[in-house]
Amino acid sequence: MNAPDRFERFVVPEGVRKISLEKDTKITNAATFTLQREDHTVGNLIRMQLLRDKEVTFAGYKFPHPLDYHIFIKVQTRGKKSPREVMDDALTDLCDEFEDIKSKFQGEVRRMRSSSSGFL
Amino acid sequence: MGSDSKTVRTSKKQRADQAASADQPGQLPEHLQNQQQYMTCGDNLNYNVSIGNSAHLFSALGIDNSWSHKKFQRDLRVAMKWVKGNDMEFDIIGIDPAIANALRRILISEIPTVAIEHVYMVQNTSIIACEVLSHRLGLVPVLVDPDLLKDKLVKSGQLVWLPNGSEMPEETNCRFASSQSSLLGAEGARLVHDDILLAKMRPGQEIVLEAHCIRGIGAEHAKWSPVATAWYRLQPEVVILEPIVGSKADSLAQICPGLFTVEGSGPSRRAVAGNARQHEKQLEKVRRMSGEEEWSEHLQLRKRKDHFIFTIESTGILPPHQLFLRSLDQLAAKCDKLLEHL
Repeated sequence: MNAPDRFERFVVPEGVRKISLEKDTKITNAATFTLQREDHTVGNLIRMQLLRDKEVTFAGYKFPHPLDYHIFIKVQTRGKKSPREVMDDALTDLCDEFEDIKSKFQGEVRRMRSSSSGFL
Repeated sequence: MGSDSKTVRTSKKQRADQAASADQPGQLPEHLQNQQQYMTCGDNLNYNVSIGNSAHLFSALGIDNSWSHKKFQRDLRVAMKWVKGNDMEFDIIGIDPAIANALRRILISEIPTVAIEHVYMVQNTSIIACEVLSHRLGLVPVLVDPDLLKDKLVKSGQLVWLPNGSEMPEETNCRFASSQSSLLGAEGARLVHDDILLAKMRPGQEIVLEAHCIRGIGAEHAKWSPVATAWYRLQPEVVILEPIVGSKADSLAQICPGLFTVEGSGPSRRAVAGNARQHEKQLEKVRRMSGEEEWSEHLQLRKRKDHFIFTIESTGILPPHQLFLRSLDQLAAKCDKLLEHL
């Protein structure tokens, strides 16, 4: 009866930003990002990519509740780059990685297609 | 006493080796490299399970562990293993588990397909309840290209004057203005499988219904999941730590036929480990043996932490290789969207 609509899991409500940033008031060069309508899929991915950055001293994510459809990502940097910049870098790097995987995978599909006739 | 001094000497040598290799920039000492690369399967516990992916992990050794696009491109390998009908297996080597897991999660719950969503029951006198039958219908894979039902842009120029006035439908509010054959082509929509049992009926019973399909994703309901399953595992490896020679080699080859073979003849014959992946049924035996006193010094089962063996079993709506490409696109689109709003 009071069940939330199923689409609430993936439709960002009106007037809410997909990704927002709040600076930490007590720690320098630290900020918390709130990502709307995302879960472990993206949270863990971004955390991993942020940690690989030399400028990042801390990165972690939290999926507070399975019925709250947002995640928090906390980042602290050394100071040369702002949390927003390292986030930007991480997302760009991830896109590059997917592009690489895609092109290599397509190469394999072509190889399979030419070697066996049963392949679509 | 003799053996004691020997161990001291080897450990000194080891330390010297480690120091020497640590002196070269960018080169991890061998034991750390193994820890980074492999998870060791003990008889009742796995070791070195965690992934060291922090850029500062080895800064004390003067080694940079940060990510670079060049390094990623150099190490990345993809290898297709087999495709059988709707199933496919392929390897991705050189990626982080976070990426592998994100792709798996997307495959299961975020690739759109078409499934039955509304069922209008006209008559049902059979033993199976309407709601149960409707649920069963929802789970039947429907062979329609989900891209055909994507949201389309409507522009003001597309508004058409209806000379004959209103053509509003009456009952379900779901009548289509034009025939769908123009959308789906001559083949039309059909089911992937024609032989899925939905209900059984006694004489005189009847079921009359109309079902409406809509496009959706597995996150909303599992019926829209395009895969039966999608999973990954790590590449297993069997290592012989200390040479196994003589009759011990024979007995090992007998315990795990195929996985271990005996090379050479006479007392110096020794056991050789084959490709672990081709003898997967025997790997648990090796794991157990690696904890036994007789074999613990000789055998080790380990798994490569960056070598993922992906298996995708499609429901038949889309071919598995396309599913994987779509999951990559989906993930890239997610990152793009975040970048755009950042």
